[in-house]
Amino acid sequence: MDKTIKINLGGSLFQIEEEAYRTLRDYLQDMDRVFRNVPGGNETIEDIESRIAEIFLSQKGTAGIISKENVEAMIQVIGRPEDFDHEGGGEKAYSHSPGPRKLFRNPDDQVIGGVCGGIGAYAETDPVWFRLLFIVFTLTFGIGFFVYLALWIALPSADTPARKREMYGSGSNRFRSQADGGSPRYQTTSRIGNVFNEVFRALAKVIFIIVRIILIILGTALVITGFMALLTFIIVFVFGYPGAFSTNIDGIDLSYIPDFLHYVVTPAAVPWIKVLITMVVCIPFLAMIYGGVRMIFWFSVRDGYIWLTALVLWVMSLAALSIIMFSEGVGFAESEKTTSTEYFSTAPDTLFIVSGRKLSDLKAENEISVPDNQYRVLIDDDRKEVYIRSRLFINSSDDNSASVNITRRSAGRNRMDAIENAERLLYDLNISGKRLTLDEFCTVPPDSKWSFDEVHITVNVPQGTVVYMDRTVESLAFPWNHHDFVSDSKNRFWMMTDDGLNYIEP
Amino acid sequence: MDLENTKAQMRKGVLEYCILSVLSGNSCYASDIIRKLKEAEVIVVEGTLYPLLTRLKNSGLLSYRWEESQQGPPRKYYELTPEGKEYLAGLDRSWDELVESVNLIRSK
Repeated sequence: MDKTIKINLGGSLFQIEEEAYRTLRDYLQDMDRVFRNVPGGNETIEDIESRIAEIFLSQKGTAGIISKENVEAMIQVIGRPEDFDHEGGGEKAYSHSPGPRKLFRNPDDQVIGGVCGGIGAYAETDPVWFRLLFIVFTLTFGIGFFVYLALWIALPSADTPARKREMYGSGSNRFRSQADGGSPRYQTTSRIGNVFNEVFRALAKVIFIIVRIILIILGTALVITGFMALLTFIIVFVFGYPGAFSTNIDGIDLSYIPDFLHYVVTPAAVPWIKVLITMVVCIPFLAMIYGGVRMIFWFSVRDGYIWLTALVLWVMSLAALSIIMFSEGVGFAESEKTTSTEYFSTAPDTLFIVSGRKLSDLKAENEISVPDNQYRVLIDDDRKEVYIRSRLFINSSDDNSASVNITRRSAGRNRMDAIENAERLLYDLNISGKRLTLDEFCTVPPDSKWSFDEVHITVNVPQGTVVYMDRTVESLAFPWNHHDFVSDSKNRFWMMTDDGLNYIEP
Repeated sequence: MDLENTKAQMRKGVLEYCILSVLSGNSCYASDIIRKLKEAEVIVVEGTLYPLLTRLKNSGLLSYRWEESQQGPPRKYYELTPEGKEYLAGLDRSWDELVESVNLIRSK
């Protein structure tokens, strides 16, 4: 006899000839019919099966393969169910109408998720064919993988005796298994099928290992990233300390943002904004760390509600933050400027521009600058004042007069508001003879918010005028080369020509 | 009347009593019990025993523990519970009475 079948009986594996298998199967089916619905029947069947295993082990035929003679001898010893009734009595034989079969995942015949095992049980076919099908479809388009995943999620596991009965259907092939969910007892797999199963199993193992390695790498990366990000955030945002981390994004030093908040938004909103920003930033980082740890250690807990809570909290924080930011932002809706002009009584041959109030005299260390626009804001936490660096433009005048334009620009809820804000800016400028004294910065008065304020000074002089600037003033006129060009700390003379201001050697 | 059938009925009546008696001395696993019952020719096929063991266990007269065996799967060792011992003592008494009654009738 060529074909043998591998079965698992009472915890032992047996090779059994096909014909012998059929006899055994019928015998066990009879047994099942009799005992299935009797109280403790499953246990009885279990006991009988382990006894069968014992008998098989003791008689072990040629090369360990169970033959039909072995099976018949066994039945002789144990007897048929009808003999028990005759002898021991009490148990009524139950006849069973086949119930409708349902599709489950089969925990008794599972390689990955038991999906194929379940389909096999449903179709009364060797699951190996479905496994093969899934492999083929995974290799061709990857569809198999997703279909499998979907089925894995969608199908319930047949983990209770009732579900198992539904999965196998009644009175059919003996693919049934232990009532109290133990190891598989029957696997009817032909030899070729067995090879495929082994291949499938090995493949699954390899995939599992690869997935695990990827998960561990990914998880580690997530944990490290999340942790570093969180640490950076705490150091920068909570302690306002740039530390070893670069907090410079686009030239804006983020570590000062918490300090600046007080001058930008309504003071009452500041603590809320801080808390909300913390939530919005930290929740994803914490989630990253937690997710990473889970990936690394591959444990499963019922943490769905944690994720949900975190998500809800995060969305709510983000929404609240957006609402606050929006209502604050409305305060900057309109931008408006006011301009005033002062004239020199006579246009000077040489114009001396010197600085009045200087930033270097202040104790304002916290600075945010937007490098592209040469826009710099500083605050002095002791005096609760905001300073905004002004800009200086020197143009040639069309006529022969010399004048100074002061443009104050601000934002507000509406145009009127914006104009009011612009006019509140404190800026001093003084003309006396050939001398123009101007502040390096404008100030937002105390108990007033910063609102995109800036002051631009435009000096108009006729061509041919020599312009002297001290270093501070020069840096207002040429903020972009303040650092590299003017490095010799000399005050310079310039000449207004038809293509602008030209530097003249002393 | 079928003689074989009557004999089977009689055996059936005392089978539970026999099982409990086998277990009265020490705990046994199923094959031990089967061997003793077969020696005494109380049963013919082994399968008879298993449903009975389950039923006795479920009614609280027997309990079992698992024990590893050198060859094959672990074995269930059955033993009498205190309740089972009491039950057995009751059966002992009624068996003696029954034998006495039968002897009395037969001696006449």
